Amino acid sequence: MSDLDRQIEQLKRCEPLKESEVKALCLKAMEILVEESNVQRVDAPVTICGDIHGQFYDMKELFKVGGDCPKTNYMFLGDFVDRGFYSVETFLLLLALKVRYPDRITLIRGNHESRQITQVYGFYDECLRKYGSVSVWRYCTDIFDYLSLSALIENKVFSVHGGLSPAISTLDQIRTIDRKQEVPHDGAMCDLLWSDPEDIVDGWGLSPRGAGFLFGDSVVTSFNHSNSIDYICRAHQLVMEGYKWMFKNQIVTVWSAPNYCYRCGNVAAILELDENLNKQFRVFDAAPQESRGAPAKKPAPDYFL
Amino acid sequence: MERSEELGLYVIDEEDNETLLLHRITPDDIYRKQEDTIISWRDPEFSTELALSFQETAGCSYIWEQICNVQRSLHFSTLNSEAFHSMNSELRELPAVELSTLPLILKTMSESGIADQMRLTDLILNDQDFFPKLMDVFRICEDLENIDGLHMIFKIVRGIIMLNSPQIFEKIFGDELIMDVIGSLEYDPDISHIQHHRNFLKEHVVFKEAIPIRDPHVLSKIHQTYRVGYLKDVVLARILDEGTVANLNSIIHANNAVVVSLLKDDSTFIQELFARLGSPATSAESKKNLVYFLHEFCSLSKSLQMVQQLRLFRDLMNEGIFDIIADTLQSEDKKIVLTGTDILILFLNQDPNLLRSYVVRQEGIRLLGLLVKGMITDFGEDMHCQFLEILRSLLDSYTLSGAQRDNIIEIFYEKHLGQLIDVITASCPNEEVPSSSGKSSGFGERVDTRNGMKPEILSNICELLCFCVLHHPYRIKCNFLLDNLIEKVLTLTRRKEKYLVVAAVRFVRTILSRHDEHLINHFVKNNLLKPIVDAFVSNGDRYNLLNSAILELFEFIRKENLKSLLKYIVDSFWNELVKFEHLTSIQSLKVKYEQCLEQCGAKSTGDILDPRKRNDERALEKEEEDYFNEDSDEEDTASASHTQKPHAQSVSSNGVAAGYPSLSPRSSGLVDYDDDEDDEDYRPPPKKQQETPEADEGNIESLGMKRKLLSKDKEP
Repeated sequence: MSDLDRQIEQLKRCEPLKESEVKALCLKAMEILVEESNVQRVDAPVTICGDIHGQFYDMKELFKVGGDCPKTNYMFLGDFVDRGFYSVETFLLLLALKVRYPDRITLIRGNHESRQITQVYGFYDECLRKYGSVSVWRYCTDIFDYLSLSALIENKVFSVHGGLSPAISTLDQIRTIDRKQEVPHDGAMCDLLWSDPEDIVDGWGLSPRGAGFLFGDSVVTSFNHSNSIDYICRAHQLVMEGYKWMFKNQIVTVWSAPNYCYRCGNVAAILELDENLNKQFRVFDAAPQESRGAPAKKPAPDYFL
Repeated sequence: MERSEELGLYVIDEEDNETLLLHRITPDDIYRKQEDTIISWRDPEFSTELALSFQETAGCSYIWEQICNVQRSLHFSTLNSEAFHSMNSELRELPAVELSTLPLILKTMSESGIADQMRLTDLILNDQDFFPKLMDVFRICEDLENIDGLHMIFKIVRGIIMLNSPQIFEKIFGDELIMDVIGSLEYDPDISHIQHHRNFLKEHVVFKEAIPIRDPHVLSKIHQTYRVGYLKDVVLARILDEGTVANLNSIIHANNAVVVSLLKDDSTFIQELFARLGSPATSAESKKNLVYFLHEFCSLSKSLQMVQQLRLFRDLMNEGIFDIIADTLQSEDKKIVLTGTDILILFLNQDPNLLRSYVVRQEGIRLLGLLVKGMITDFGEDMHCQFLEILRSLLDSYTLSGAQRDNIIEIFYEKHLGQLIDVITASCPNEEVPSSSGKSSGFGERVDTRNGMKPEILSNICELLCFCVLHHPYRIKCNFLLDNLIEKVLTLTRRKEKYLVVAAVRFVRTILSRHDEHLINHFVKNNLLKPIVDAFVSNGDRYNLLNSAILELFEFIRKENLKSLLKYIVDSFWNELVKFEHLTSIQSLKVKYEQCLEQCGAKSTGDILDPRKRNDERALEKEEEDYFNEDSDEEDTASASHTQKPHAQSVSSNGVAAGYPSLSPRSSGLVDYDDDEDDEDYRPPPKKQQETPEADEGNIESLGMKRKLLSKDKEP
């Protein structure tokens, strides 16, 4: 069994890797991710997953429902980290799978894959607590800069974490973004990761999130038309039923963190597309309490003060 | 100043006690906490936006919690108004704690509404025997393995903690009770196996004393802090609500402040600490522990008030902490090196000027050298330390001031820049570099890098250089113009690791974002975009990060109307680029070029095909060059892009300019020269006969002009 396979097995047990292993993994991942496109081409069949947010045991449920990687091809739409207790293990497992099976799993960047956001919402603190230094956080956030911004499945399904941008009307325009940077505060790259579809606005609206935009039915219609795609698949917003269609089936939100933040009471979903792009949503619940590891946040075992 | 009553918020003038604001807290979700010091809301009574700004974050979070608490109780009282009326009068006392009364206590607790909870809190606090008795019963149940009893006690203790009363916390986290309280929480009825929290705390956790702490009060606080943290993060992690977590955090925070401040005021303690750190008699092992201790000490000092913390750090500096860190940086043990750099980061986050003032001193120069050396040291399997961050913070021109800045920047450029560049040239394949081969850059010590550097190190160097371009544009420009520095950095494009090629592209992009005429001419004259175009061409039709980064660079040149570059690119490389004409960006580049040519043709018939001719025929082509440097007012008709929003160039946190060229036509020419603090950086390059570019003649003043870099304030 190769080191990488052994590490994947270890991560599947929710045991984090050693720092040296994280470093080696990140360097390998960088070489793979640098070759990917801002709009990564993906073949069907593929299973699309939304936000995970460090809910490791719920992601294991996801794999139970959807099948193991690499038997099933996966695409994750970002927000792997923050909020949940196991961002480190969650992200490292996905990254290890990416390095092991580069063509079987696609990782798209979410708005939480950012230095600024992770310092507020938990990933930074988790790394500090689990490793005693911020090195792992630095290596992981450096990797975030290389993650692809979106994907296009069989030329028909456009997938992105947040949504559309007023600066982008054709997929071609995404090509000229130099994505290797911290998520900016505005501009096309920011919008792709931050925007939300909204029923009431027609055209563009200000987003209450403070970044990205709200976009309405007409925006989606004309985007889908001019890029000849069937629909947009995105994540970024909690939907209690796990998935939600909007604007006459032109855009769908997929949410894959059941009982979000361990208290929202929602179910989660993944979207399976077969080789003919036939859709099948699979809805699942949070992992039972029993199957979770005991100490949620293990402290350093020694202290001076 | 601010005082919170049960339902209202009063703001009173400190001087004359006049009420400035009286606001009734509503249960509606109208309050927002911004940054750490502002609470704002839209007042429904006055229909107006209000904001309270606080001097201290602690004051702000205190009032914020109060507001949340009031809101919570408002919510509950509407929900439980029935319970409120029926139960309130009944809850006069709690039954005496005994095994037999546990069900009744539990029932009372679980059925109580919010008003009862306050009453319950009072009852528990007034009954001196409540907790000792409850813990007695717990021990008995544990001895008898009475699982039902243990489960009930678990629920009772959990319920009591959820009352979130600071007075109760003070009691149950005392030395006598806390271990039993943690013990009672091992019996969660929802988890089939028993947790072993006490065992972990007693058997596995090690309290290390680098220097013996004699004050029992300090010791007790230290242990309490760890245990409360353990309760919060492990035992109750899934159960606690935000309010309770906030209160537990403030206990930890306050404890840390007490501990650090008692220790720092204990002069014998601090003296002993530094004496042992400096003594050759101290064993390596205990020195390590002393450094770890120092790190924890500095790290916890964040709990002190700003002024106190600053004073502490200044005292530590005077005691010689930086000399000690310089020693740790030379250790073989990478973990110690890491701890040393972590301490430096703590200092820099507090006030970068402390470390700067040390580094410019005679005894401190060594430390700067060690930091640069650290940055180019191969850490093997280990994680690389934050040398890049430390150097960035030291060299940050936005927070530097006056003489110190000139000093530190001067030392860095004199002694270390060459060292970093040497690392690049020594680790990149050097075919096709006739000018720089075998020649050291002339200053600094040469670094032995025969085996080639780890790509990670090269990428860090490149990132630091981008940072320098933005922060010391005039200082680094001398190196660009006189030492062929750009050409040397661009040897990175020959590395096989694509992310290093991308880093080199980004370096070029960062320089061009400065809109510096001389540098643009320097690019043209020395054919410096050739390695970039070569990388683009050899990457072929692959749509990857390299492809995107270079296309973005071309788009920038086109949108910003950098005419001489446009001309140079198309004239020199069209034969190769024509293969990529199917790409919108490449096509638009050509269209833009042709437009320029047409307009130029109308003005002058001069030969514009070889831009490098300009060196010889400068006078003849002056007019045309002027045209190409002129601001163009016409709309960007060549643009195939539909970008609507103008984007400011922002500097992202990793120190590189974000790739959002502005579309505003006015930003593309020679306007907008702003006075800038960076101007002081500039020193005219010493005249060297054969190397001084002709284009620079008589243009010294214009070197001092600088385009304003937007969005500095975005730097987090």
